[in-house]
Amino acid sequence: MILLPCPHCGPRNASEFRYAGEASTRPDPNATTPEEWRAYLYIKNNPAGWTTEKWFHRTGCRRYFTAERHTVTNEVRETRLPAARLESNS
Amino acid sequence: MSRGALKTGKSMRLGRQPGEVLDRSRQFVFTWNGRKYPAFGGDTIISALSAAGESVFSRSFKYHRPRGLLTASFLDPGCNVQVGDEPNVRGAHRKVEPHMAASAQNAWPSLRFDVKSANRYLERFLPPGFYYKTFMEPQRLWPLYERVLQRFAGGGKASPDAPHGYYDKRYAHPDVVVAGGGPAGMGAAVAAAEAGARVMLVEEEHELGGHLRWGDEEDLAALRRLGEEVARNSTIEVMTDSVVTGRYDGNWVAVSQRSLPRVEERLIKARTKTLVVAPGLIERPYVFQGNDAPGVMLSTAARRLINLYAVKPGERAVVLTANAEGDAAVADLERAGVEVARVEDARNGGDIGRVRGGQGAREVECGDGARIECDLVVTATGWTAPTSLLNMAGDKPFYNPAAARFFPSRLPEDVLATGGIAGDGSLDELLEHARATGKEAARRARGIGAALRAGIPQSTDGEEAPQDSPVTIPDLPVNGHLELFRGRTHGIVDYSEDVSSKDLVAAVKEGYDSAELAKRYTTATMGPTQGKLETVNAMAVIAEATGRSMEETGATTWRPPYAPITLGALAGRNFEPVRYSPMQPWHERQGARPLVAGAWIRPDHYGDPEAEVRNVRKNVGVIDVTPLGKLDLRGPDVSELLNFLYVNKWSNLEVGKVRYGVMCAEDGVILDDGVTGRLGPEHYLMTTTSSGAAGVLEWIEDWLQTYQPDWRVHVTPVTGAYASINIAGPKSRELLARVAEGVDLSTEAFPYMNVRTGTVAGVEGCFMWRIGFTGELSYEIHVPAAYGLYVWEALMERGADLGVRPFGVEAQRVLRLEKGHFIVGQDTDALTQGFGAGISWAIKLDKEDFVGKPELVWQGERDGYFRLIGLQPHDGSVAPPEASQIVEGKTIVGRITSSRFSSTLERSICLGFVAPHLAEPGTTVTVQLPNGERITARVMEHLAHYDPEGAKARG
Amino acid sequence: MSARRSLANLRIADCTPLTKVFVQAFEKGMLARDLGVEFGRAVRDENGTLRIGSGPGEWLLLAPPGSAPEVVERVEAVRAEEPVSVVDVTHGRALVRISGAKTVDLLPKVCGIDMSDSITPDGAAFRSSVAKVLTDVVRDDGEGTRSYLLHCERSFGQYLFDALLDAGEEFGIEIEGFASNNSRSPE
Repeated sequence: MILLPCPHCGPRNASEFRYAGEASTRPDPNATTPEEWRAYLYIKNNPAGWTTEKWFHRTGCRRYFTAERHTVTNEVRETRLPAARLESNS
Repeated sequence: MSRGALKTGKSMRLGRQPGEVLDRSRQFVFTWNGRKYPAFGGDTIISALSAAGESVFSRSFKYHRPRGLLTASFLDPGCNVQVGDEPNVRGAHRKVEPHMAASAQNAWPSLRFDVKSANRYLERFLPPGFYYKTFMEPQRLWPLYERVLQRFAGGGKASPDAPHGYYDKRYAHPDVVVAGGGPAGMGAAVAAAEAGARVMLVEEEHELGGHLRWGDEEDLAALRRLGEEVARNSTIEVMTDSVVTGRYDGNWVAVSQRSLPRVEERLIKARTKTLVVAPGLIERPYVFQGNDAPGVMLSTAARRLINLYAVKPGERAVVLTANAEGDAAVADLERAGVEVARVEDARNGGDIGRVRGGQGAREVECGDGARIECDLVVTATGWTAPTSLLNMAGDKPFYNPAAARFFPSRLPEDVLATGGIAGDGSLDELLEHARATGKEAARRARGIGAALRAGIPQSTDGEEAPQDSPVTIPDLPVNGHLELFRGRTHGIVDYSEDVSSKDLVAAVKEGYDSAELAKRYTTATMGPTQGKLETVNAMAVIAEATGRSMEETGATTWRPPYAPITLGALAGRNFEPVRYSPMQPWHERQGARPLVAGAWIRPDHYGDPEAEVRNVRKNVGVIDVTPLGKLDLRGPDVSELLNFLYVNKWSNLEVGKVRYGVMCAEDGVILDDGVTGRLGPEHYLMTTTSSGAAGVLEWIEDWLQTYQPDWRVHVTPVTGAYASINIAGPKSRELLARVAEGVDLSTEAFPYMNVRTGTVAGVEGCFMWRIGFTGELSYEIHVPAAYGLYVWEALMERGADLGVRPFGVEAQRVLRLEKGHFIVGQDTDALTQGFGAGISWAIKLDKEDFVGKPELVWQGERDGYFRLIGLQPHDGSVAPPEASQIVEGKTIVGRITSSRFSSTLERSICLGFVAPHLAEPGTTVTVQLPNGERITARVMEHLAHYDPEGAKARG
Repeated sequence: MSARRSLANLRIADCTPLTKVFVQAFEKGMLARDLGVEFGRAVRDENGTLRIGSGPGEWLLLAPPGSAPEVVERVEAVRAEEPVSVVDVTHGRALVRISGAKTVDLLPKVCGIDMSDSITPDGAAFRSSVAKVLTDVVRDDGEGTRSYLLHCERSFGQYLFDALLDAGEEFGIEIEGFASNNSRSPE
């Protein structure tokens, strides 16, 4: 089982996490087209290589985070918290 | 079970041997196929039987040929036996116990006379792929084929009545796991422990020591010294009768551990920092005609029998040797009093042509054509490196033809190899290599451990990653060895699967000319030995047949498990969390029929769900709705959050009011629904469906954490914090009034869709919501959980004269259906977008933004979607089963989603989805029942079948 | 009369009656400074309340039974600039304490976290899966004996207790009363 480095809790078994898909950006809901919105919903790159994805640490800190993972080697080179947390200024 | 006297055949038991594992002070009796046999403590089932002169232990898988002992170890393919309820016991490994009842498997009606051995004479009609080819057609005969084939298939019998033993699992976090407890593994473990590592030393056999155990006095002395060193290190956890079955990502190592007190078998999931692979070498069989006859065995098997179990392997032997170990076997045989009739030395051109003998070896035809009578044929033709764990770690071992075996090529940082798998040399050379490897494994583990700890908030402040330089690991010499795989005749390659070299050649001729294809076609390497005995021979035969080299042919892929593991160990203990409401003891006392709803155990009904429905309509009923998801939401931005999550508007909800809301996902599909109340200016309580509670929480956390991190909202899940009780029925107000304090329950003071906080049955801090799903006057109360049972019992007691009765989930289903409230996931599915479910009144497309808005905008513009409607069959006595199709001729134009017989309306009622042209009230639709029969039903004006105006609930 | 104190190497006690208060605030805000405990650690304050850094920006406060109003009041009295929420979850959570030398053998049967001293020393707090239930685990040794508090959603409590008993059977687990355990719970 791969060990996934949670930015809060440290490395944990992957079974503690829920894979929340490739990281994506929500289009402006009032200006979007069906093509753009459905690409946001359904179209994934699924590369054999580096990918940026969202994970949820379900049986841990219950925080979402972004991980850059290599889909062939399972190496994780970077994890990030969601941007612009309110408390980041503290 | 047992019959007759103690078996007293010719005893093959030798006098005391220096390295024997027997406890001669403990002699006892066990049974084999119902007959009694003597054994010593320490004997395996097979060693005890061999000592009593038995030599046939099973019938082979396909041809039902008699099979004896080949390796005298765990993987001995002919020695799988049945012990009591337990099938496929490794008889040459399992220690025999007093009164053990062992028997042969795959033999019918008896081991000696096996009717299926007629297959042997059919051999030429049983080519590879025979079963595939023969039993393909016609398909209708398959059930018959299956019955016959099942009887012919190998393996023991699993009894359905066998008690489920205690199979355990545990996690472990060692610094170093050493796979293999021979001299190299022991040396590596000691060095790693001395360097400060916590070590797990895993050995498949019952004792540490590997080949030293069946060696000479010098070997035994070395073993004693190593054993003392291991024992001195308390940080080495020694696991014997255990095996590393797999290595996975992140050095996740699976260890199967046996011979434990009170535990049948334990699967250890070890996240090790480094793994040292030291499995030693496995002696490889030689392929020739008759190589599977009982009495033909490997040199290590003969030496193990003599030196570990004090069993004379035969009376008159022919030995084929190509190495020093074979020569040592000759010496052992002679010392044990076996007449060695001839030694064929392969290094000088010696060979074996074929062995004759049905029940056991009778005669050997040597390489020079000479025929020699004998009952024992011993071969020592080379070694297979069990690189399995290395392959699983990503290594691609290379084949060295000069040594006739594979060697590691490039290992990852966290995996090391030592011992025979890494090279040859004297014991001292091996130990030097092992010690350096162990020390280096410990050094790397320190660095890996420090890196791990650095990210863990609860750990002690990690010391700096060590800067010490790598340990120099000396190279091991490699001994030359002849490439000996197959002689001049054809014989068995895979003993477990009964695949011969002829079968492999045939497979290549049929076009299955790569190792991977031939493997799948013939099933070679797919049996219980998992390639450890046969992979290299199979590869050699395929290479020969294709005219390619060994390197070009390549081995088949080694996959986990390295050694077979029981299903019990994989299953482990049963971790299936269940949730109970605080009222569960009451439900049990009342004989409620339990319903498993997700993790929750809920009362389905208390005996008569119809009566429960009637009582709600007539008097008052109470239902335990504790599983309802409940989220405490606090902060200045909650109303903004609600406006975003739900399709309807929330900005104008006053304190003390509750509102029903529907959530859609980003694809516009209905996700959940429920009622949310405003308890204070910045304090709300949200309820979700029971089954949706966990998912909705994660969904809200996602929006708050990743999309709107600036919203000031704190979410606390409080599902279990409150026991939730719905009080429903015309007398519900009267009942609640008897227990509630400090709340005016009159319609004017506490109207429909309002929430109040107050005291119930003396319990402070209860929430009372005037809502319901039954269509009757009703209240939902949320009571601090520890008081839940008390309040429930108070309601029952105080409402006895009002006719209060509990009702369960089944009555709730009927009551909801009568009111036409859809259930998310029952009446909607993963394609049901908002407008289809008849909630257009709730969807506020004029809101700036909410989840799924674009899809709902487009759905509204598109129209043409299926619609949820109320349906009543014209024949009110028929309640079509849920999921019945609504059809027009042969076209499916809808489906029934909920259907029950309503005792209130004395007719069947349904909810369903229909195509838009059928949604008009009054339309007659055709419903096809699962039995093919068709009925008609009328589309109703409302979803609600009962009191569609909702007058009762508001009263 | 005080309850007999078990001396078994593995003991389990239901500590659900303890007051449990859940606090959310900025991870590094004013309240966090006042509470003085970081995510991953647990400390006892001068009132005997066990302050647990149970998550990033989350705290769990364990105090004697019936003391929720005072605990809530003390936290709410802290003048923090950031939004703070203080929720009494006493009724919403189950709490179990396991004690004794054999806890290091029991926990790996139900939890994948390394229980060695370097990863989870005394005073360590983490959240993980215990017998497949989301559980806050706090190492809270007493009198030189290993001890852990396990805190989960209330409705899973019975299941978790049963799962721990089952896992501990091979080590001779004994059930202690809450009272006999009280001396090591927050007071």
